[in-house]
Amino acid sequence: MGERGFHLEKEIIPVKFALVEKVLDLARANSLWPVTFGLACCAIEMMAAAMSRFDLDRFGAGVFRASPRQGDLMIVTGTVTKKMAPVLTTLYEQMPSPKWVIAMGNCAISGGPFVFEGQYNLVEGVDLLVPVDVYVPGCPPRPEALLEGFLKLEEKITGTRRFPRVESAW
Amino acid sequence: MVNGLIEEIKARVMGAEPVEVSYTEKGYHCALETSPDKLSGVVGFFDEKRFYLECLLCTDYTDYLELVYLFNTHLAPCRVKVALKIDPEHPVAPSIAAQYASAYWYEREIHEFYGVLFTGHPNMAYLFLHNGIDHYPMRKTKVPVPSEDQARLDSFKPGEEEDTFFINLGPQHPSTHGVLRVVLKMDGEYIERAEPVLGYLHRMHEKMAENRTYQQFLPNTGRMDYLGAMSFNLGYVLAVERLCAIPVPDRAKFVRIIATELNRICSHLLWVGAYLADLGALTPFLFVFDDREQILDVLEGVAGSRLTYCYFRFGGLYNDVDDEFIAGTRAFVKRMWSRFSLYEKLVTGNVIFINRTRGIGTIAKEQARKYGVSGPVLRSAGIACDLRKIESYSAYDGLEFDIPVGGHGDVLDTYKIRIAEMENSLRIIEQALAKLPGGPFMAEKVPKKLKPPRGDVYQVVETPRGELGIYIVSDESDGPFRMKWRVPSFSNLMIFPELAQGVLLADAVAILGSLDLVIPEIDR
Repeated sequence: MGERGFHLEKEIIPVKFALVEKVLDLARANSLWPVTFGLACCAIEMMAAAMSRFDLDRFGAGVFRASPRQGDLMIVTGTVTKKMAPVLTTLYEQMPSPKWVIAMGNCAISGGPFVFEGQYNLVEGVDLLVPVDVYVPGCPPRPEALLEGFLKLEEKITGTRRFPRVESAW
Repeated sequence: MVNGLIEEIKARVMGAEPVEVSYTEKGYHCALETSPDKLSGVVGFFDEKRFYLECLLCTDYTDYLELVYLFNTHLAPCRVKVALKIDPEHPVAPSIAAQYASAYWYEREIHEFYGVLFTGHPNMAYLFLHNGIDHYPMRKTKVPVPSEDQARLDSFKPGEEEDTFFINLGPQHPSTHGVLRVVLKMDGEYIERAEPVLGYLHRMHEKMAENRTYQQFLPNTGRMDYLGAMSFNLGYVLAVERLCAIPVPDRAKFVRIIATELNRICSHLLWVGAYLADLGALTPFLFVFDDREQILDVLEGVAGSRLTYCYFRFGGLYNDVDDEFIAGTRAFVKRMWSRFSLYEKLVTGNVIFINRTRGIGTIAKEQARKYGVSGPVLRSAGIACDLRKIESYSAYDGLEFDIPVGGHGDVLDTYKIRIAEMENSLRIIEQALAKLPGGPFMAEKVPKKLKPPRGDVYQVVETPRGELGIYIVSDESDGPFRMKWRVPSFSNLMIFPELAQGVLLADAVAILGSLDLVIPEIDR
């Protein structure tokens, strides 16, 4: 950004910073780059959402990055076990800010169907490890549900919803 | 074959008392009890007779632990159950990892879940569990992990050596298809040693089974292998039907075959896409998902879900198929036949693909037997073992299909076999649709609460990845006392360290992909 960048001292900034933030947020919301982080069954539905029929690219979010350093959205797709938990936290910390997390599926939300008395290997909800922005319930959620999750996240980032809400038929 | 074998065991193995059992009731042909000092003689006998170790499992009967070794041959089913009782206070048993390479991982698994120490095993490090575990999870009573075992918990620590370095492939890596971790000891670009570390998705299915009734466990099957959910569902349902002697109407049998084969095509399609993405070709992914969605539409109409099906019930189906399903299946079959030429042009004839896959990861017949690999990987080695034909279940014996086998045992062969299997699945679906009988889709008088008789049962099915075996022990209650899943990816992965030795890192990714791993199924 050079000498005229936004890192100038605060009192002499001639522009309203909040407005720039708004523009940046708009850009961020429409080009979310998810980290390729498939854990279990939901990962297949995440792939389906990105592929031919559902085409996540329409929302600018189809660029799945294999490295967490290039992504700004982590979709936790599946059960988080105690052995996986430190890895997940490391991955989250490696992502550059600002970053968001979608908890996809019941396992990521609360442990889902694998919670029972005497369980010894489960983290009951990924929000115990990292902050979660959007929860997408289902076992596994349909790709449409994940798309709605993306729209919700866009709404959260920009404050406005770009696409009309689909009314339930029943 | 069974009678001759029993005579031979009696003559050759000192003090062994083999008993013939009813295959339709139990799922195995012959049972035999042995003691720790005679075990190596028994195992040596089966090794000499070219049996492969199908499964090794442990059951905790509170007053004793029972190790069960299941041996089988590839081309003529002759399953032998060898039982070995050990003391729960000091559980020690001799290791057979030197004779059967597949026992290497099974023994490690039993050690961490039951605390059985195998003498002579080269590496008793933990494979599945996390560092914080303080008891043996599968024991019926709470047994704390002793201090000498605590040291083994941290499963793998690479040592430092000059001129080599370590690379972690996974647990978050696009080509491991999930959360598998492989620690690679590298010498430049070449792999010196590969050591898989499992358990990043261990979801305690077998422990859950002991806490549930038979019906309550049904949804778990679809979540174990989410790509071949129908096959897993079918295997479990068949096992419980065998245990409780529930008859199944003909219509249900044929619908089960249609649904399972559709699911098999679905799974193989996804493998083609994901495997080529591993090799760097991203375009086929879009094509296979297009085809896959057509199948999902058809199956969703009857099963109600897109991925984790729970369509079969004990004695039949969840609901009957309608005309829409049959028309949809016919339309899909017609469409799919025309798609193969597209894949042929796009992939099979592609010179880059051929050069990446030909001649690497070659598996010999003897190696395949020692590791107990199954499915397309086994057939690529030239062994025509398909359980749909060899140990026919449901109504497969009345249908005509081929078993495609490979000639070289390399990675290219597994690809060709899977494509040929899709064609055969289409043939099976066509025949099953033509033969589909009318009548009820559910057996009458299946009790709401199942109370199977005391005893054990074993059931195999051919899943898209290979041989699935389910071993259930009943104690006359409404839930299983012990349920063991012999999963195909687990034994297919065992062969990877040997295949990866001395190959380039990029080739190792091609070999790993060709095994078609589904991680939740390995970890259970």
